[in-house]
Amino acid sequence: MKKRVLSVLLCTVMVAAMIVGCGKKSDDGGSSESGGKTLVYWSMWSEEEPQAKVIKAAIAKFEEENDIKVDVQFKGRNGQREGLQPALDAKQTIDIFDEDVNRVNGTWGKYLLDLEDLAADYEATHGVESLMAIARNAYGQTHDGDETLHSIPYQPSIFGMFYNKTLFDKAGVEGAPETWEEFDEACAKLLDAGITPITADDAYMTPYIGIHLAKYLGQDGVKSLVMGEEVNGVSVTWDDPKVLAAAESFADFAKKGYFSKNITTNAYPAGQNQEFAPGEAAIVICGSWLPNEAKESVADDLVWGYFNYPTVPEGTDDNTANNIANQVFAINKDSKMPEEAFKLIEYLVTGDTDKAFVSDAMCIPADKENADNWPVELEGVKAGFDATTKYYDWAAGVENNNDLTPALKENTIKLAGGELDGAQFVKAMKEAAGQ
Amino acid sequence: MKKNKGMIVAFLTPAVVIFLIVFLYPIIRTVMMSLYKIDSVTDAMDLWEFVGLGNFQKLFSTAIFKTAMYNILKIWAIGGVIVMTLSLLFAVILTSGIRGKKFFRAIIYLPNIVSAVALATMWLQYVYSSKFGLLKSFFEALGLKSLAATPWLDTAHKFWALLFAYCFGMVGYHMLIWMSGIERISPELYEAATIDGANIVQKFRYITLPLLKGVFKTNITMWTVSSAAFFVWSQLFSNVTADKSTLVPVQYMYMHTFGAGNAVTDRNAGYGAAIGIILSLCVVLIFTICNKLLKDDDLEL
Repeated sequence: MKKRVLSVLLCTVMVAAMIVGCGKKSDDGGSSESGGKTLVYWSMWSEEEPQAKVIKAAIAKFEEENDIKVDVQFKGRNGQREGLQPALDAKQTIDIFDEDVNRVNGTWGKYLLDLEDLAADYEATHGVESLMAIARNAYGQTHDGDETLHSIPYQPSIFGMFYNKTLFDKAGVEGAPETWEEFDEACAKLLDAGITPITADDAYMTPYIGIHLAKYLGQDGVKSLVMGEEVNGVSVTWDDPKVLAAAESFADFAKKGYFSKNITTNAYPAGQNQEFAPGEAAIVICGSWLPNEAKESVADDLVWGYFNYPTVPEGTDDNTANNIANQVFAINKDSKMPEEAFKLIEYLVTGDTDKAFVSDAMCIPADKENADNWPVELEGVKAGFDATTKYYDWAAGVENNNDLTPALKENTIKLAGGELDGAQFVKAMKEAAGQ
Repeated sequence: MKKNKGMIVAFLTPAVVIFLIVFLYPIIRTVMMSLYKIDSVTDAMDLWEFVGLGNFQKLFSTAIFKTAMYNILKIWAIGGVIVMTLSLLFAVILTSGIRGKKFFRAIIYLPNIVSAVALATMWLQYVYSSKFGLLKSFFEALGLKSLAATPWLDTAHKFWALLFAYCFGMVGYHMLIWMSGIERISPELYEAATIDGANIVQKFRYITLPLLKGVFKTNITMWTVSSAAFFVWSQLFSNVTADKSTLVPVQYMYMHTFGAGNAVTDRNAGYGAAIGIILSLCVVLIFTICNKLLKDDDLEL
């Protein structure tokens, strides 16, 4: 009898626990137990990244100053990419999320709240014009040209050529190259001085060739080339003489020995951290996140320099066309607390938080009022950033075709390693594209 | 014993319901998805666009998918031979009564409890490094300069570098399966063989191997399943964007289902589902062939 009573009691406890465990979370518009409000923020950062630490500290301060709790969940890049859309589709409570400007506005565009009214004051006071334009354009690209503001930019970046000023001085190279000829001369001087001119990591080989091709063809030309279709009235195939010219100028640098002998084996971040940062190679192609990533291995005498990808002879775009990107915050259109959500976003992209991004994560400021507050390591980037008038997508769109990118990566590495010449590169890519 | 149908139903129902929800429903949904173009995995069905067998036709005419299938075939076949041979060898040695069995077993199994991310980073940034790699130092110490200069991570060698690193980690797992099989064999059989004058090789050939047929089938099936799901190592060996030399079908599926690299690319979860179905059929095919070829019921003990 005792056993039966005990069994019944245990069963009851188990069933009660299951009901409590499986019960639907209170959906009362984000009210917390303390009676205040709770915002849910899904972050693209991993918890140990400097950006996440800045965000965590800022949120703690925000919670102190406002009667709003923030449930921040650091998902990391992959977690965000895999999990956000299913969660939004399942109507999970998520008020704010962030990721790359194109992914947020393009892939997740249908979940975004229109921010025109909410952000009007912010935009007038704090918004950097170029970044706001990029955010609007990213939405317009995938929404029939509708450039309504749906995201707030932060942590902007530019992709280009970082160089070691100390090594440039040692080799007698004066100033940063702006044209392909000047770039060639600079590399020749570096080589003569016994310095490896250029290194790169496998992760950035496709952006490298993408930006290089874009200088010859323009971004629409690059997209047309890899997608095999007309893009904005531009149609380019692998038989185009400009494609060959681009491949040959790249191959010429390889032939002259400008690329590191390790360029074919540099698994990210070996090139940037083991060759460029310690001062073994003078130039590396990377984004403006480089100083933050390489800070542990930087040589004592390294003085940071930067130049935009040089203008090529008879190219379509000059060195004022670059990939400037940023992360953006967006508000879920189903959020029950849009004003509070925007208040948090504004807190994260302006004032002290923006300054903390600059000082702790070496980011480019996103607040117009901090415009002169660039990290020392990125001071050289400012001129190139400000000079940019045409904005490329990531890699100028060369990675847009999933089926072609692996072959492009392999053939670009071979091109840089001197295993393929320009014509062989074009032939290999034509085959890969099935042309 | 009196059968209580009510009790049978009561006990079976939860299991059947869970099976239907957790296994059958995803299978049916995946098969259905493979016939549609679907932007996101969680898109509502009214957003699905019917393409019939279009996803399969596109897959079989896409060169990079064929490359991915060829790569996984090589991983399965070559890696399978290496892993099965080494793991069996270690299992036989460790069950032969040597001293320190537990220590060596733990050491060989150790890579299985270390995160694949940490292991891949070790191989990529240290073992295969062209600047200060373990292999470079090792071959230099032996005076083998040409081997020391091998660019292990260039496009010509990267697949083999990946395969070797993966096999290194998998040997311990399969060794344990072999060991469990060997330890089930009655010692009396070996004693009888010893009395009859059989040497170690003969005992292995005529006792151990025949009695491991069932375990061999288990090992092949486990290896096939893990090969079909091969993803993390390829992803880690190709930074940001996939490498042609190390691309595998699941990685290709991921690219098309969730997007690839930093660019915003077209997504099609239906295409990904079609890849999943092809891989499942491959596993079923290999399992069926194994069952036909390896019958473990022809021995009487």
